[in-house]
Amino acid sequence: MDAGTLLAIENLRTYFYSRAKRAFIRSVDGVSLGVARGETLGIVGESGSGKSVTALSAAGLVTAGPGVISGRVDLHSNGTRRNLLDGLENYARFTEQDGRVMAVEKDERGWRKHSDRLMAGVRGKEIAMIFQNPRSALNPYSTIGKQLVETIRLHTNFKGEREAKERAIHWLERVRIDSPGLRFDNFPFGLSGGMCQRAMIAMALSAEPSLLIADEPTTGLDATIQSRIVDLLAQLKTETGITTLLISHDISVIQRLSDRIAVMYGGTVVETGRAAEVLAPGATARHPYTAALLASIPSAETIRRKSYLQAIEGEVLDTIDVPRGCRFYGRCNRVTEAIRENCAGIEPPLAEIAPGHKVRCWLYPAAGKA
Amino acid sequence: MRRYVQTPGPIGRFSELSLAQRAGPLDLLYTGYGLLVVAVVVASYVLGAFGWLPDDPQAINVGLINAPPFTSGHLLGTDFLGRDLQARLILGIQAYFLPGLLAITISLAGGSILGVLAGYKGGWFDTIITYFDNLLDSFPRLVLILLVIAAFKPDIYYVMVVVGITGMPVIANLIAGKIAFLRQMSFIEAAHALGLPAHTVVLKHILWLNCRALLVIQATLGMAEAILVETSLSYLGFGVQEPTPSWGNMVQAGANYFLQGNFWPSTAPALAILATILGLQLLGDGLNNLLEGKRRK
Repeated sequence: MDAGTLLAIENLRTYFYSRAKRAFIRSVDGVSLGVARGETLGIVGESGSGKSVTALSAAGLVTAGPGVISGRVDLHSNGTRRNLLDGLENYARFTEQDGRVMAVEKDERGWRKHSDRLMAGVRGKEIAMIFQNPRSALNPYSTIGKQLVETIRLHTNFKGEREAKERAIHWLERVRIDSPGLRFDNFPFGLSGGMCQRAMIAMALSAEPSLLIADEPTTGLDATIQSRIVDLLAQLKTETGITTLLISHDISVIQRLSDRIAVMYGGTVVETGRAAEVLAPGATARHPYTAALLASIPSAETIRRKSYLQAIEGEVLDTIDVPRGCRFYGRCNRVTEAIRENCAGIEPPLAEIAPGHKVRCWLYPAAGKA
Repeated sequence: MRRYVQTPGPIGRFSELSLAQRAGPLDLLYTGYGLLVVAVVVASYVLGAFGWLPDDPQAINVGLINAPPFTSGHLLGTDFLGRDLQARLILGIQAYFLPGLLAITISLAGGSILGVLAGYKGGWFDTIITYFDNLLDSFPRLVLILLVIAAFKPDIYYVMVVVGITGMPVIANLIAGKIAFLRQMSFIEAAHALGLPAHTVVLKHILWLNCRALLVIQATLGMAEAILVETSLSYLGFGVQEPTPSWGNMVQAGANYFLQGNFWPSTAPALAILATILGLQLLGDGLNNLLEGKRRK
């Protein structure tokens, strides 16, 4: 990755275990992503595509077993590079067969202790997160002011009660909360969902982290509030220049905020590139899944013509039983006879079809060369 | 008929509404009565501890036995040896006050630790607590206490340790349940993501902010339980021994004269037990409605 990279995820695999099926759920299966300093990388995909788990893995927040089993997460900050998964491979051993993980042995306690050691000083300070359902992400029995002051005193040099409070009110102002002095003493249930999300954003940003992970920040909010929160995130991005990893299933949110986009499907990245290119209207060079996703959002055009929205046929990939070939093969409507054999049997590589634009599909000749 | 009235003053600041505005009148009555009982008991304990009694509780006056209330010099009358009932009732609080506090301390501390482990860590802690709970449930508490008395010595503190330990699973279950509920909300995860250390999350955000009301309520109920155990044991003769007064042995001693028409010497301590336990139970109930904002059951 180039010098401007802040976070580089390499070949990350996060599996969970289904006791009922005695099988691994391959939530994230070999994801490589890079987030450059100052940019917003949008990860988009259906529910269950592994986008949230990717972010949680990077922040060391996966608690269910076996969890993150391999990969690298490099955080470049303060001139140093830290692998946030460094040494964790000593705590999880897996046996592979035909390139597929068949068994994982993991020392959960050792893993968690080591992970907490690695993440100390990173979680909240370097990497901050905001979640969906902001109301439940705040402690209901404490005022938002107190919670904000707590993170400020923990992560910044504003250690005194008074200066931390001033700082907290400053941040409430920054996230456009009306009369922040009054709202400071409000409990989360006294505020609307949008206000809670603003408070949450203030808490995340108050530590002045290098990376903000926004995991479905608008899900669970009203449509009008959603658009206000998106506006706020856009404004804060221009004001602070913060690097953001934005996760959403809502393409319009991703479209408005992202510089680059990664489309995820079945635990892998199927397409990545500059937002303008990947989501360019009318572009033909894109992954069939991205095309299908785009066709499924109502545009002014489809509404005017009263035409039906295009649903993606079939169901989201069951990541327990991953097919040998392309993960999207079963739902793909652009398979041609020429490539059918490849699609069914061999997983396509993530091939560069234009500078900075990579697609994981046999439709593009670059895939054959890679 | 239900009335809907907007509260005067700033709107939406629930926390700043007075108790009267937040609660129903019954809750206030319960809580008020409970607090009154607690105040009387604590004040009486202090009086007893310093020996500031209206009369000598051990002074025998054979000329004035089983006197009714309002006898001159004896506001609540005398017992079968002519000892002042009021002084003995006040001194009787010594028998359960500190032991009761010990019992609730043990059950609150132990219950919180187990509850947090079960709710926060889960896994086999949860299993252990379930088994512990089942084990204690399947064993009559009084028998367990008598076993301890037989094995060690009839000391009220030993008994209260047993009461404390047997009270732990209830609190552990309540806290584990509360944490399970809090887990559905994502603020614990969010707190971790914000980099708060685990002990801050557990002690401050879970136990202090979210479980303190529950713990206060359980403390009042636990105290009521401890008093009941102490008085029952003293009544049965396994607790505090004559001539040291305890409400339990006072009821027992007075009961011998009950059928002769001298009902007062045993009724007075019995009423004291009733009033105290009722007060603590109602306090627990009232606080539950005021603090937790919902009815029990």
